Amino acid sequence: METFNNFLGGTVALFSDPLGILIFFGGVIGGMLFGAIPGVSMLTLAAILLPFTAHLSPEHGIMLFSVIYCTGVYGGAITAILFNIPGAPENAPTAFDGYPMTKNGQAGKAVGAAVMCSALGGTVSAVIMMIATAPIANWAISAFGPPEIFALVFFGLAVASSVGAKTFWKGWLSILAGLLIAIVGLDPVGGIERWDFNMPYLLAGIHFIPTILGFFAVTEIFVQAEKKAKGSYVAPKLSVDFPTLAELIAHKVAVIRSIVIGFFCGILPGIGATLAAFMGYNEAVRWSKNPSEFGKGKLEGVISSETANNAATGAAMIPLLALGLPGGALTAMMVGVFQMHDMEPGPLVFINSADLVWVVFAAMFFANLSILFVGYLETKTIINLLRIPFQFLAPMILCLATVGAYAVRGLTIDVIVMFVAGAIGFFLRRSGYSVAGIVLGLILGRIGEQTFAQAMQMLHFEWSGFIGRPIALGLIIAGFLTLGGSIYGAFFKKV
Amino acid sequence: MGNLKTGHIVEAAIWLSLTIFLYIYSFEFDKEIEIYKYGASSWPRAILLLIAIAAIGQLAFHWRSGDGAGTSMIGQATADSAEDAAHESHHDSARWYAWTFFLLAIPFVYLNLPEWIAAAMSLEKPGLHTVKLISAAVLVAIYLIAIRGNHVGGILALPILFGAFLQDFGFYAMAPVFILGVMYLFGERRYKHMVLVMAGLFALLLMFFVSLLYLGLPAGNISPFYDFGTGLVNILQ
Repeated sequence: METFNNFLGGTVALFSDPLGILIFFGGVIGGMLFGAIPGVSMLTLAAILLPFTAHLSPEHGIMLFSVIYCTGVYGGAITAILFNIPGAPENAPTAFDGYPMTKNGQAGKAVGAAVMCSALGGTVSAVIMMIATAPIANWAISAFGPPEIFALVFFGLAVASSVGAKTFWKGWLSILAGLLIAIVGLDPVGGIERWDFNMPYLLAGIHFIPTILGFFAVTEIFVQAEKKAKGSYVAPKLSVDFPTLAELIAHKVAVIRSIVIGFFCGILPGIGATLAAFMGYNEAVRWSKNPSEFGKGKLEGVISSETANNAATGAAMIPLLALGLPGGALTAMMVGVFQMHDMEPGPLVFINSADLVWVVFAAMFFANLSILFVGYLETKTIINLLRIPFQFLAPMILCLATVGAYAVRGLTIDVIVMFVAGAIGFFLRRSGYSVAGIVLGLILGRIGEQTFAQAMQMLHFEWSGFIGRPIALGLIIAGFLTLGGSIYGAFFKKV
Repeated sequence: MGNLKTGHIVEAAIWLSLTIFLYIYSFEFDKEIEIYKYGASSWPRAILLLIAIAAIGQLAFHWRSGDGAGTSMIGQATADSAEDAAHESHHDSARWYAWTFFLLAIPFVYLNLPEWIAAAMSLEKPGLHTVKLISAAVLVAIYLIAIRGNHVGGILALPILFGAFLQDFGFYAMAPVFILGVMYLFGERRYKHMVLVMAGLFALLLMFFVSLLYLGLPAGNISPFYDFGTGLVNILQ
């Protein structure tokens, strides 16, 4: 009952504030639109908006990002279905059957299924998130000290190393590159300058906003530039034709299975929605009586993947809000929004900023619901904006990114850092590295080093101290097992 | 050599060189911290060691499997077509890389060369500004010649060049040129469309960020670019 009252309070606070309503609908439409534009993604929009959230209240800033997260995960399905270009890694399995459906003349049905299943998966996930996050946060206050948080960061990085890159080693090199960037500046214990090369700019560390803008928004433009060079830009065309109720009921088992898979995968820091989508799809194939039909345009493939990835969005907020650990690139940017307002996400947010939490929860619930209505309208109307040729869209995104990078600290060198990061990201991506891994390493690296130092001081520099802390020990063992499994796969499994 | 290619060895060499370079530099901050016995350099060195291990592991993987993707990897093969684009557009030859890195070096030449010349000639501020103007003009000319036949390299270098010019020539004078340049490099040749889009986009940016949000964008510090920038801001605010 208390949860319901809190939810009502959050809903009233959200919809009684005109600016809040504006930001909510801006986030809903922006997330869907950027998710649906080939070549850019919700991460591009989030990276562009990140510096400007400093001018918003913390409630509005976090709410905006959570709404973009929900609707952007859905939006990426549109490009996956229509052009075989997933808006984000979590939409990749959607393309397996969605694109063949387009080629079979069933694009509308695939998009319609994505609309309905994303809304359903996301809404159920948001409800579970509202019920589960606060108890987990309360438990975390007593159970999670620096050793446990360090262990969770280690586990998250171990799992994340298998996402986004071409090989396990490149996954690790991506994450380690992020950890390396995080070291530049003052050390967190003694305040000693590290790798500043006597440049005052580097003393404060490389700011994460220009870096994120560069690795996501700018790199994406460069990758599209290369595709333009080989002359492969496809003009969008669209229709919408929702699947019938009977078709959905026929896939009810797939929907329920994907919600469960999505939610549990979403809780894992590091990879959440991507793992959810792939596992949702894989399980659909495994449980199917006709597995050979998958990959050739089977509706169940789209349903399983899209239900699972949106079901992970609510779950991904649990480690973020309960423990302060981001579950992916977009939730890592949310940590940035918290930090810009001198706040740290974690269990204390529920005590110090309960209003913020419930406005965000309400916004996520309604954002997922709105996919059903706005998603339908979008595919009919706003989607026409997709007709803007990329050569006109690219300068707009680059100019917005320039203003965004400069606005953080008023330094033109931040703009240069952003564009250099974009060029580095371009070379790393074409070599099979993961830019999401770099950003996760950058964000988790700072948390990781700080909690490691605190943990070691707390344990009097005795490594055996971890044995006496079952949660930390369990997470470290799980991390090493994950690593061991990946190394075994890298060396001994047939490629 | 197994399935190793030159590119794999170069890739490993880059990572290992970076590791050695940063390890040598880590002695600069290898200081003790009273309350923390591992000091300031243990964490960075541990990361460097892991990078070296991963780079060697990656090399061993290529030696055994060539360019094949790893097993159990999630979200890359279908999600990121950047690699395919590189191969299909033949932008992975040593010549292309050398050409592209030459283009990428141009902005950094601008960031350093005028200062060196001014210092060598003991020039005051007005003299430095003249050197910067001449350097910018020469480097832009070199850039325009060098991008012929390497549009992707040109697109990679253009934003960095734009960023390098921002401090001296300002956003207000540089943004319209930058917008036109990006459109041109992306293949647009309808000049009327280009001018209309540039004017519309520039006006939107100014109205939203300068007039509405009162955001101070770099106005530059070399006349007449500085005068143009500040004049525009005065009108808009």
